[in-house]
Amino acid sequence: MTKDVDPIVLDLIENALLNARFEMDSVVVRVALSPVIREQHDEFPMICDPQGRMIVGQFGSYIPAIVEEYSDINEGDIFVWNDPYACKGSISHNNDWCVMMPIFHEGVHVGFSSIFGHMVDVGGKVPGSMPADAYSIWEEGLRVPPVKIYEKGVMNEGVLKIMLNNTRTPDMNRADLMALVAGCRTAAKRVQEICDRFGRETYLASCGLLLNRTREAMRVLINKYISEEPVSFTDYVDDDGVGNGPFKMQLSIYRRGDTAVFDWTGTDDQAEGPINFHIHEGLCKLFFGVYMIMAFDPKIMFNEGFYDLFEIVLPEGSLLNPKFPAALSNRLNTHTRFFDCQAGALGQKAPHLSMAAGYGTSPHFIFTGQDSNGKYFQLMELLFGGVPGRPRGDGLDGHAWWPLFSATPIEYIENYYPVVVESYRPVKDAGGAGLHRGGAGIEKTYCVLEAGSVSIHDDREVVPPWGINGGLHGGTSSKWLIRAGSDERERIKSKLDNLQVEPGDRIVFITAGSGGWGDPLERAPEKVLADVLNDLVSREKAEEDYGVVISDKNVLDSSATEKLRTSRKKERGEPAPFDFGFIPGVHAAE
Amino acid sequence: MRLGVDVGGTFTDLLLHDDAAQRTYRAKTPSTPEDQSIGVAEGVRLICEKAGVAPSDISLVLHGTTVATNAVLEGKGARVGLLTTAGFEHVLHLAKSWTPGPLFGWIVMDKPDPLAALSDTRGIPERMDARGNVLTELDEATATAMIDDLCGSGIEALTISLMHSYANPAHERRLREIVQERFPDMHVSLSSDILPEFREYDRAITTVMNDYVRPIMTRYLGRIEKRLGETGVDSRLHIVRSDGGLMSAEAAAARPVHTVLSGPAGGVTATAMIARRTKLPRLLAFDMGGTSTDVSVIIDGEPTITRSTDVGYFPAKVPTLDVRSVGAGGGSIAEVSELTNSLRVGPRSAGAMPGPVAYGRGGTEPTVSDANVVLGYLPPKLLGGDMSLDLDGAREAVSKVGNPIGLSPEAAAQGILDIANEVMLGALRVITVQRGLDPRDFGIVAFGGAGPLHANAMAQVLGCYPVVVPHNPGVLSALGFLEAEFKNENVRTLIGSIAGIDDAHLFAVFRELRGQAVDWLNEEEVAEADRGLTYSVDLRYEQQGFEVTIDVPADLVESGKGLDAVLEDFHATHDRLYGVRFDLPIELVALRVVATGATPAVNEAPPSAGTTDVSEAVMETRKGFFKGEWQDTPHIDRDRLAAGARVEGPAIIRQYDTTTVLLADHHAIVDDQGNLLIWPNEKGE
Repeated sequence: MTKDVDPIVLDLIENALLNARFEMDSVVVRVALSPVIREQHDEFPMICDPQGRMIVGQFGSYIPAIVEEYSDINEGDIFVWNDPYACKGSISHNNDWCVMMPIFHEGVHVGFSSIFGHMVDVGGKVPGSMPADAYSIWEEGLRVPPVKIYEKGVMNEGVLKIMLNNTRTPDMNRADLMALVAGCRTAAKRVQEICDRFGRETYLASCGLLLNRTREAMRVLINKYISEEPVSFTDYVDDDGVGNGPFKMQLSIYRRGDTAVFDWTGTDDQAEGPINFHIHEGLCKLFFGVYMIMAFDPKIMFNEGFYDLFEIVLPEGSLLNPKFPAALSNRLNTHTRFFDCQAGALGQKAPHLSMAAGYGTSPHFIFTGQDSNGKYFQLMELLFGGVPGRPRGDGLDGHAWWPLFSATPIEYIENYYPVVVESYRPVKDAGGAGLHRGGAGIEKTYCVLEAGSVSIHDDREVVPPWGINGGLHGGTSSKWLIRAGSDERERIKSKLDNLQVEPGDRIVFITAGSGGWGDPLERAPEKVLADVLNDLVSREKAEEDYGVVISDKNVLDSSATEKLRTSRKKERGEPAPFDFGFIPGVHAAE
Repeated sequence: MRLGVDVGGTFTDLLLHDDAAQRTYRAKTPSTPEDQSIGVAEGVRLICEKAGVAPSDISLVLHGTTVATNAVLEGKGARVGLLTTAGFEHVLHLAKSWTPGPLFGWIVMDKPDPLAALSDTRGIPERMDARGNVLTELDEATATAMIDDLCGSGIEALTISLMHSYANPAHERRLREIVQERFPDMHVSLSSDILPEFREYDRAITTVMNDYVRPIMTRYLGRIEKRLGETGVDSRLHIVRSDGGLMSAEAAAARPVHTVLSGPAGGVTATAMIARRTKLPRLLAFDMGGTSTDVSVIIDGEPTITRSTDVGYFPAKVPTLDVRSVGAGGGSIAEVSELTNSLRVGPRSAGAMPGPVAYGRGGTEPTVSDANVVLGYLPPKLLGGDMSLDLDGAREAVSKVGNPIGLSPEAAAQGILDIANEVMLGALRVITVQRGLDPRDFGIVAFGGAGPLHANAMAQVLGCYPVVVPHNPGVLSALGFLEAEFKNENVRTLIGSIAGIDDAHLFAVFRELRGQAVDWLNEEEVAEADRGLTYSVDLRYEQQGFEVTIDVPADLVESGKGLDAVLEDFHATHDRLYGVRFDLPIELVALRVVATGATPAVNEAPPSAGTTDVSEAVMETRKGFFKGEWQDTPHIDRDRLAAGARVEGPAIIRQYDTTTVLLADHHAIVDDQGNLLIWPNEKGE
């Protein structure tokens, strides 16, 4: 940082970069064809400095790992890849195609723009490319190492042909890939304009200063909220899809000087099935950082200036640092549990800023087959569940834990796929009780109109989402099959592939809720009554968990409530910091 | 005589145009938020007195209102009941499942209660499929019992929004019949009427929003018609729609959701009018008020229309002028972040009360207006001398944010302005560069209380010249209402691959929609010569989620011949907007026929008085901070400038309802319509 930058110019550049980053989103979403990117926004942009450090974005940089493999990076080059093992876990399953573009200003390298997005299909043994029962990454579709799809502005048609030849959905992937490229180019253009406007040297110096500014803020947060005494937290992934589990994840956090140490020692060994999360150490730091920013001061600009303040321990051969060729496609369960452990550990030192656990993965419903005209169809939908109870208020019912995702309209799905959704509603009593109630999971009933096969990915079927600060745990997930003409509900697994279905068969897809936050006996009785009237909480649960007495005519009995709450509090004493509902190895399984 | 009425947060502006004498009169009166119609009636009395005319001489009242918007934003709408398909009762509660970014963005998300409560929602046993075939017959007995229960429970309006009703509205219509037989006074809206398009949440929320504001709008319109009547006005009342068109008061009472952007529409329409008169075909409308700034684009003299907007948290899929709003205005508060030491401006606002520190009404936190005061951009007295500004107070408040980060009061004030400008630039960039438009091809029209203070600085960064400060920017919205057209859209959703659609059928639908459009023009008694019909289609690549609206030439509809040119236009437009075209099948989503009824132009005599010798118009010379130093800066009385006058920057140009900052290295010229045009010295003349 040789150059001084006027503090106001720095703020201007910060705002200009934020605008550019949101512009990337809007370009990608508009050009993309697959509903996963377009309607559900499963894409993640960023802008980096010349060293590949993320200045704005939401997931964090993986670029140094790519750049070190290439000595000749030129203007007009665009890289693409999807192999987690070839990029040190910068992306974590084959479905994410990542595009990266160096940015030049008047011939000088000034940074990178990059976006990865989820492709509907990248080949492999099942439609959707996320086999629940894979034993190695060889079963999970095409792996592309970092290669140049454009070299000095000229497209390498061969690369594109190979990639598209290995997917069941070439048209969609082509458009989605071009959408990612268009988004990167937009960012490049904006960065060039910023260089024109403020001067290139000023821009480059500003990148450093912006990183540093966030670093300083993080230093304050670390010293305030992380103690030298370790705090630990343990949570579980249900299973790996091939019969093993639950899998333990254990995190300890402590401070050594200004450095925060995040130690995953105690986490189970890698799984046979595809739930391994090959995470890049930089991403790991970023995840901790973003949580601390959002929980403690959401106005801080989110970049990776604080990396050197974090130290990460990822035991080799564990669920979080698996050895090649471990299967990775369903790593989202582990990924989300990573965040749950983080929230549980950090929350202990700042209960007033803590969060409960949510639905705990990214539930998928995939339905493929050939329609009556012989045309191949592949519906892939992400579902949502309970968003955790939080200091600001109740958790959200049936909302996205992941940022900026949206539900695909049912009318859209029914317009294009042979399926009718018969009902879509939040699950009663699935939100953990609390001063701030946890969000409820959702129940979606699909009736298929053509023969085909169904795949499902979900978790939190066995180990429920925990509550915090006296809040109770939330409801678990479940899946059911009702064959055409039958009234029998048959329980099916939450991780399954290629279930053969016939016209008229129904799948009931229930996602997990989330844990409550704070003492449910302190929740305003009127709010509990409102939840009962809204069919989100039963009268029985209102009494059992909240100590709120409501008559069968839905009238609140205030004096009975007061009496019941007093005796409950006496019985219970101070509420426990966590409520797990079920702890593997401690409680007996149902 | 036509009367334009614009009810703002602080003032109600009125503009009366005497078509025969070609004169306009203006009046300003405090708004009455508890009942806007009181202020309006007072304004009418005032302006008639000023113009020396009788209220009965007014032939048309054109009114832009924020009644609907405010009801939604403040959560003060009616209690709405909702009938939906059984199994989808939680459609509003689950919304789109959307939560904000980045990761953990939900930690700080505030989600307002749905506009129709779950306890006022009933799931009706019935179901259509996507083609409009009945999957489950409507169970009338059960439905009737639910209707009796719900409509008797105290709801004020009822929305009926069933799955796939855009494809077949039969069940919605039958339910309405049942309601009307049993509860003849109940307001009922059908989603298939309000928004016959797919996407169940959007359709439901838009229709519910209509009912949420409908009783309030109906009562308001009733009151205003009564008060106008009492004042002696016996003309028809027309309401400005969100797309800048006009609708009758009866239509507004039935479809108030079409007025959610009624307020800002006037300024945009007026900017379009300025574009046509100044022969500057491409303009940015820049309306900067106390708490927010609205920007929009005029191309070839026409505003751009979008198919959806957001009212606070809630989406409303109605045609609106494409106005982008950001939370930066004169009242936006500046503060320094404790952790990062960065200067932040807005979105918190001091509002009208307490307002900026300089206003001396108890404000203590520095605002954008205070920064303008510190730099000598705002004169010590405002509003024709009625209001004195506390210069020392402003300086002290700005120092408070400057000190901790080592900035002088001047540097801090400059910083506050620059950051506020950057936030507004973000909005301008969204509506230009993000849509493939180069801002350097545009001029910028500044209005609203603070627009002319900031527009020159915005132009300097974006390169959009000239800056146009209209003759009376304070009443520009009301002026826009006077020139608004009558407008009505007739839409039909028709989803399917272009290749598979029979041209003859498509053009038959167009002609049917045209029939509806002509019926409406007849109802509104629009004269033959004033009528206009335009045709368009919404297209996208197969399975894409967003549509692009492409105009269809009228002669093509007449001849009914192929769509090749339209499809080519679609590819080209997609390429311009998103930088890519695909070799994929194109899909038709909707057909649209828009009927318009022109209103006569407002002709104003140009300013003839005044002088072109600027030195005669100098009121005083004060210190102003430009290019990093204090300079003697002339304050010029705009009312004394005649057409052709040229002012050199830096200068402060003052007038009754606003103050214009003319930066160094720029000059301003008064054009023959009284507009102030600001150019950089190296460009223009």
